[in-house]
Amino acid sequence: MTKIIGIDLGTTNSAMAVMESGQAKIILNSEGGNTTPSVIAPGSNLVGVSAKRQQVVNPRGTVFSVKRLMGMKYDSPEVKRLKKGYPYEIVEGKNGMAVLKIDDKTYTPQEISAKILVKLKADAETYLGTKVTEAVITVPAYFNDAQRTATKEAGQIAGLEVKRIINEPTAASLAYGLDKKKNETIAVYDLGGGTFDVSILEIGEGVFEVKSTNGDTHLGGDDFDRKIIDWLLSEFKVEQGVDLSSDRQAMQRLKDAAEKAKIELSSAMETEISIPFVSADASGPKHLSMKLTRSKYEQLVDELVQRTIKPMENALKDAGLSKSDLDEVVMVGGMTRMPKINQVVKDFFGKEPHKGINPDEVVAVGAAIQGGVLGGDVKDVLLLDVTPLTLGIETLGGVSTPLIKRNTTIPTKAAQVFSTAADSQTSVEINILQGEREMATDNKSLGRFILDGIPPSPRGMPQIEVSFDIDANGILHVAAKDKATNKEQKITVQGGSGLNKDEIENMVKDAQSHAEDDKKKRGVVEARNTADNLCYTAEKSLNDAGDKVPQDIRADIEDKVKHLKDLVQTGTQEDLQTKTKELSDSLLKIGEHLYKSSGGPQTGPANPDKKNDNKDGDSREDTVEGEVVKD
Amino acid sequence: MDKKLRKNKKVDKNAERVDLLESKLQEMETSWKRALADYKNLEKRTLEEKLLFVEFANKSLMEKLLPVLDNFSMLENHTNDVGIKMSVKELRVVLENSGLRMTEVKPGQEFDPNVMDAVDSGQGEDNKVLEVIRPGYFLKDKLIRPASVKVGRGQKP
Repeated sequence: MTKIIGIDLGTTNSAMAVMESGQAKIILNSEGGNTTPSVIAPGSNLVGVSAKRQQVVNPRGTVFSVKRLMGMKYDSPEVKRLKKGYPYEIVEGKNGMAVLKIDDKTYTPQEISAKILVKLKADAETYLGTKVTEAVITVPAYFNDAQRTATKEAGQIAGLEVKRIINEPTAASLAYGLDKKKNETIAVYDLGGGTFDVSILEIGEGVFEVKSTNGDTHLGGDDFDRKIIDWLLSEFKVEQGVDLSSDRQAMQRLKDAAEKAKIELSSAMETEISIPFVSADASGPKHLSMKLTRSKYEQLVDELVQRTIKPMENALKDAGLSKSDLDEVVMVGGMTRMPKINQVVKDFFGKEPHKGINPDEVVAVGAAIQGGVLGGDVKDVLLLDVTPLTLGIETLGGVSTPLIKRNTTIPTKAAQVFSTAADSQTSVEINILQGEREMATDNKSLGRFILDGIPPSPRGMPQIEVSFDIDANGILHVAAKDKATNKEQKITVQGGSGLNKDEIENMVKDAQSHAEDDKKKRGVVEARNTADNLCYTAEKSLNDAGDKVPQDIRADIEDKVKHLKDLVQTGTQEDLQTKTKELSDSLLKIGEHLYKSSGGPQTGPANPDKKNDNKDGDSREDTVEGEVVKD
Repeated sequence: MDKKLRKNKKVDKNAERVDLLESKLQEMETSWKRALADYKNLEKRTLEEKLLFVEFANKSLMEKLLPVLDNFSMLENHTNDVGIKMSVKELRVVLENSGLRMTEVKPGQEFDPNVMDAVDSGQGEDNKVLEVIRPGYFLKDKLIRPASVKVGRGQKP
């Protein structure tokens, strides 16, 4: 089955996305970009960034903003206006339609748009590794039938079956999942590279209806850059008395610096623009160094920002609505990253706009979702749940040991081997815990059970495998099995916990705020467990080695074990760690001595990390001490 | 007769049920196979992306360093100081060892929009580079910045 890709065929930039495992994913073009400039040089068959790079050399043979010509009559006022502003030639074609004349060849706007689509299609095929034959393409809400038909034709010329043409604001709303709302009114504010659109939509029973659209066809990100460049030019002239505007090289550097400053001021409150050696005169080289604050920048572009307010008012008026009727506001286009724009829109509609999806990609994402719905990809996708909180068991010292981490997609299974904490311990209690905290008592207990009948053996030797299995319905099955006897106990925990979203969020937040404390608590317990373990190992080693250990070493170890044992219940983490280290160093002496006296590799249990010798010791290396139940 | 009919009906019903279950089974089999395939593909894609990520982890840092390198070059040309020349050279060597390579663009060369960005044009041989305004760079084999060039537009000087 081939995938239906979603294409945002933009005036200045185009983007594409596809559904993968129920999620829309942006497809990168062959240059590694998430968007492709909608620029074409038909003569040399260049599309995208390479076409843009040769625009200066080939202005009459480079087509940009072809979207504005789609489905337009040659004698329409819009085309007359464009004809004046554009360096390429626009002539009258069949049926009085506007067509382009490049190097003595005529092209319909459809044919030119198709070249963009051909590149996007090819790049998508490379990216996906499969043929792409079907697409959903977006158009502005104000496009009429002729313009929509032309867009569809462009797709056909490019070898794409256009499954559907959808409105850009609708696509953006889809990306935010607003199709699931009922009877709501949505405003979509779209400030892109070269055009500004505002649309009012109504959603009822999963169908979007465009109530009104408004905008400014010649307002976009480039105008914002231009304002910064103009400011830099005039400031530099005042400061240094040099006019940089006729210096192409300096202008190029200014343009780059302005764009960078604009982007930085979306997150920073001020930025430093520095262009060393920007120019030179008789007195030597000149450097440009200026600070631009966000508030100064906002002043510079205030006129542009204000220009978006009138269209918002008009759109509301045309829809016959007032500001209070709106339920949702969606932002589209790179310029909406600017905090001031966000503020203006929020103040105007009195609603916090939807954010979160990259505003350059949101339309393509929505188109891909529509494609997924049409292809049955979205409907049939099995929505896999995740476990909202970490699941684990209580282990020695009241520590919570996780088996399945939060946000793991279910169904899932995890198992870990635990052991006993005392000699001759014949049962273990499994306390199932849910939550993000380090200590068992701070988490929620979902249930507990006892596995008994473990043959009496030294501590750490029995292997108890605890397995957690969450099935597709979110039901947790916990089992504990003694590997020696194959004796098993099971418990089923229904429906997780019945916690609602807020409770889950609270538990996660709680864990974050207690993280520091919890870590300390856990650290002490762990140090305690290690110390206790080492005392046990030390005593066992002394016993096993018998009189092969010289008296002085034995006395030293016994003394240290006694000290450490006194510390176990009351000592601080640091004390415990120091003393544990001391004892462990002394223990090495046993091995050293035995090795020297036997003259061969040591066989005694001198390594304090290995708790005790066991014939299948290797498979036990990941054994963790289990909770003790003294009976 | 009546008994036989009833039996037939029962057989029919069972056959229907078998058909239903078989189609259900087939549906299940396809969907789990598809899920497995999706997973395998994701694994492959993730691996590819990881390799790519490692390869170009330096890309964004390099892109930020390029304007600084440009400035140092200008400083170098301007001062003609041996110490500065040595320092800039050292910086270049470090960057080159990390995979940075300058595009080999020289005046007189044919303009190529795949590796060059025409920022200016002037009188000169048609479609030939007149001047390299700012060098371009590859990181490993990927172009991370095209060379900014001035290109001839035909008219003889």
